[in-house]
Amino acid sequence: MQQQAQPSPSPKPKKKIRVPRVVNGVEQMVEIEVDEDSGPGWGPNDKHRLLNQRITRVDGPLKAAGAARYTHDQRLPGMLYARILRCPHGHARVTKLDTDAASKIPGVKAFIQAPLTELRFAGAPVVAVAATTPEIAGDALRAIKVTYEVLPHVVHAAYAIKPEAPKVVAEENNLQEKGKNGDPTKVEAAFATADEIVEAEYTSPRIHHACLETHGMVVDYRGGDSATIYASTQGTFTIPGDAAKELGLKESNVVSSVEHMGGGFGSKFGIGTEGMLACRLSKQTKAPVKMMLTRYDEFVMAGNRSAAWQKLKAGVKRDGTIVALQARQYRLGGIGQGSQAGQPFIYTMGDTYREIYALHTNEDSAIAMRAPGYPQASFAAESLVDELAHKIKMDPLEFRKKNLRDQVYHRQLDRGAREIGWSRRNPVAGGNPGPLKRGIGCAVGIWGGGGNNQCKVDVTISRDGSVVVAVGTQDLGTGTRTYMRAIVAEEFGLGIKDVKEQIGNSKLGGANPSGGSTTAPSLSPSVKDAAIKTRLLMAQRVAPLLGNAKPEEVAFADAKVSANGKSMTWREACASLPAAGITGHGEWRSDLQARGVHGVCFAEVEVDVETGFVKPIKMVHVQDGGLPLNRLTFESQINGGMIQSLGMALYEERVMDAQLGMQLNPGFGDYKLPGTLEMPEMVPIIDDDDKREAVIGVAEGCNIPAVGALANAVFNACGVRVRDLPITPDKILMGLMNTSTSRA
Amino acid sequence: MAKHDSSRRKFLKGVGIAGAGAAIADHIWTEGEAKEEQQSTPAATSGEVKVVLNVNGQPRTVQIEPRTTLLNAMRDRLEPAVTGPKLVCDMGTCGACTVLLDGKPAYSCLVLAIDAAGKKITTVEGLGTTDKPNAVQAAFVEHDALMCGFCTPGFVTTISAYLKKNPNPSLDEVREACKGNFCRCGTYPRVFEAALAAATRRSQI
Repeated sequence: MQQQAQPSPSPKPKKKIRVPRVVNGVEQMVEIEVDEDSGPGWGPNDKHRLLNQRITRVDGPLKAAGAARYTHDQRLPGMLYARILRCPHGHARVTKLDTDAASKIPGVKAFIQAPLTELRFAGAPVVAVAATTPEIAGDALRAIKVTYEVLPHVVHAAYAIKPEAPKVVAEENNLQEKGKNGDPTKVEAAFATADEIVEAEYTSPRIHHACLETHGMVVDYRGGDSATIYASTQGTFTIPGDAAKELGLKESNVVSSVEHMGGGFGSKFGIGTEGMLACRLSKQTKAPVKMMLTRYDEFVMAGNRSAAWQKLKAGVKRDGTIVALQARQYRLGGIGQGSQAGQPFIYTMGDTYREIYALHTNEDSAIAMRAPGYPQASFAAESLVDELAHKIKMDPLEFRKKNLRDQVYHRQLDRGAREIGWSRRNPVAGGNPGPLKRGIGCAVGIWGGGGNNQCKVDVTISRDGSVVVAVGTQDLGTGTRTYMRAIVAEEFGLGIKDVKEQIGNSKLGGANPSGGSTTAPSLSPSVKDAAIKTRLLMAQRVAPLLGNAKPEEVAFADAKVSANGKSMTWREACASLPAAGITGHGEWRSDLQARGVHGVCFAEVEVDVETGFVKPIKMVHVQDGGLPLNRLTFESQINGGMIQSLGMALYEERVMDAQLGMQLNPGFGDYKLPGTLEMPEMVPIIDDDDKREAVIGVAEGCNIPAVGALANAVFNACGVRVRDLPITPDKILMGLMNTSTSRA
Repeated sequence: MAKHDSSRRKFLKGVGIAGAGAAIADHIWTEGEAKEEQQSTPAATSGEVKVVLNVNGQPRTVQIEPRTTLLNAMRDRLEPAVTGPKLVCDMGTCGACTVLLDGKPAYSCLVLAIDAAGKKITTVEGLGTTDKPNAVQAAFVEHDALMCGFCTPGFVTTISAYLKKNPNPSLDEVREACKGNFCRCGTYPRVFEAALAAATRRSQI
């Protein structure tokens, strides 16, 4: 029987736009087609009832009570525990693998050799084992005998760049050119017009994501044709495809579950080598396998932020105009490509020329970390700008304004300056009396934070009055659950508690991976769209009961549905719905989001010039982000950005041993994270002068300028310019010694 | 790499596993337990011993190797598991596994389960629940002192214990009290706020 074709509705006018799509945590711009006119907007930012307010997060009580369930908390009947044996050499081949003794240990169930033939870094996975307890899995690792052919390695960039250095990849140069930009002849000419020139090298070391929940997953496969993967991931939908491949199952038969996850910061996309090994162990044993990396594994094989080496030369006129920049930038990504934003970063610097290279070492690949490539570029650019200002004896804040075109920065710099008390700043570096010297510095940051069209959201209202908003997305601790509820509750005139959310499952509607601050701007428009559509469906149902009102006249407020002077309670209105309830499907709307955030950070520090110790005193960060979905969690993101930057500026560094080729500080005992004692007073400020009625992601933007601000504050405090992160006491003392020597 | 692996087994081997087991068994088993064990005596499996752990007011019996940490015993061996305390650094630096042993905070990754027998073990679950949080848990939610939440059980436990000891702390005392707890998302300022706020409601801790 053939149905008569419905006349298709006239196609809506479309337009093409460019949006970010995240692959392995890194944004790539793609072109998509969207509706030109797509419906009602958010309305003014200061007119919301729940959005842009301070809503405590809905999963807070679970987390505070220890009841939130993470991947690491999964325990299934008959589950095996997996561990990975790692290569102890910087570069080697496995010539013999002997698991005989290990396999005789009671409780040891399976081994899977890692697929790599050549191990290019210390920590590279060699073989994985599954056993009945984590302790026995550890015994098995110690009983495995591996014979290696040890190859020459290089782990320090300064050596890797030399022609005689061992090759990370045979027959390939460790140094790979990645691009040139600008006209070097013009730049030379421009230097000739400069009054002052600063030439300096800035280096920042490899640092670690240090997610408290390590990478890993629990593969629930017991034979048969389906599996569930519990994964600590930033992308629910980055899991099933690869897991299915490893398990030899249909992708549609593999479900991923991400109820709660303990931090990612850019490092958790896809199943990873550990996930691949876990799937293979599970496939072999037909038993659930839990593979959570140990903390040591996490340091040596779960990724890191690209180190950076930047040689910059800039010329400035006495009036404060930067006229030329020449940059040679090395991305130090280990065996990977690394990342580093191109100079002159945010600033306008007249004629510029840059060369970017990847310089390889025998270290695990750098991967995306909260604002990939930006904090490194920002630190160098902001230090350079400060040095130029100092050279021409200009206030660094005024100097920045002079070389920043975007007026938003001017506004934010003024705001931050008031908040930190810039007027207290001694213009003479190291000029304050006494051994404890205070200084203030500032810096600016930029990010995209736009969304894309990957989120499919359902809002369902049942006859009993319950409201559920569902999509497969993940909440990294950013407050996703909470703003999903708030958007829907606001649309229906309900409270936060009247809406429930379902997320973190690949059976639900599709969603983008959380990278590049794209989650909120991708998800919230789809949630809003679903809420608007469901509201219209509901209005159509209840309008006849409200004196035959038109659906668009039906108002939803204060848990009541009303029109024509008639009113029903929410429950009464829902009782009129069909037995199955109603469901509206939401798609992404480009007009409900935007791209482009600005932030500025000010830092005050106290330097003890007798010990070189730096004490952070106060940090202020002003950040715009269009419509703040939740002020409380927005501020927490700002704090988080400042604190992670504090770690990069003053404490964190992977230390590699040149001879052994291995990391010397692969644990929290030796890798210094910022802790409670290092916390300054922190002032997170949402820039409400940003009137854009659009959602923009802010996580990365908050994590960029603080490193430069702290470095500049240290210089202002004691007169020592530390160009090599982290800014540790030894470097300050060395700098003070050099300063006093040169004075003498 | 072996030197980075936990070597608790080696340590116990050093003192002789059987000897350690016997010595420890003396003080960890209740008399009734010991008798029951003698009567049933299952075939010894990989040197496991039976331990009774008093977790959140409940006696919980668990069969473990003597080298098993309290943390792993709670998370991997107790049935049902107690998963509030988290395994993060496994070396006593980050505080995510903090529990109270007779009211005093301890890193449960550094305590052997057999040494915790006979002590009152309180985990974050024992301090309050989702519906009936204690003052610290409630303040953590109110002040947004958590993001990913993986460090939260440790902080809540440490601070709950500290506020009993010092009901009216200064900001610096709060910092000092939880300097053994790490957070990566960056919740510290709000953890401090929450702790100070909870102190004003200390009757509910």
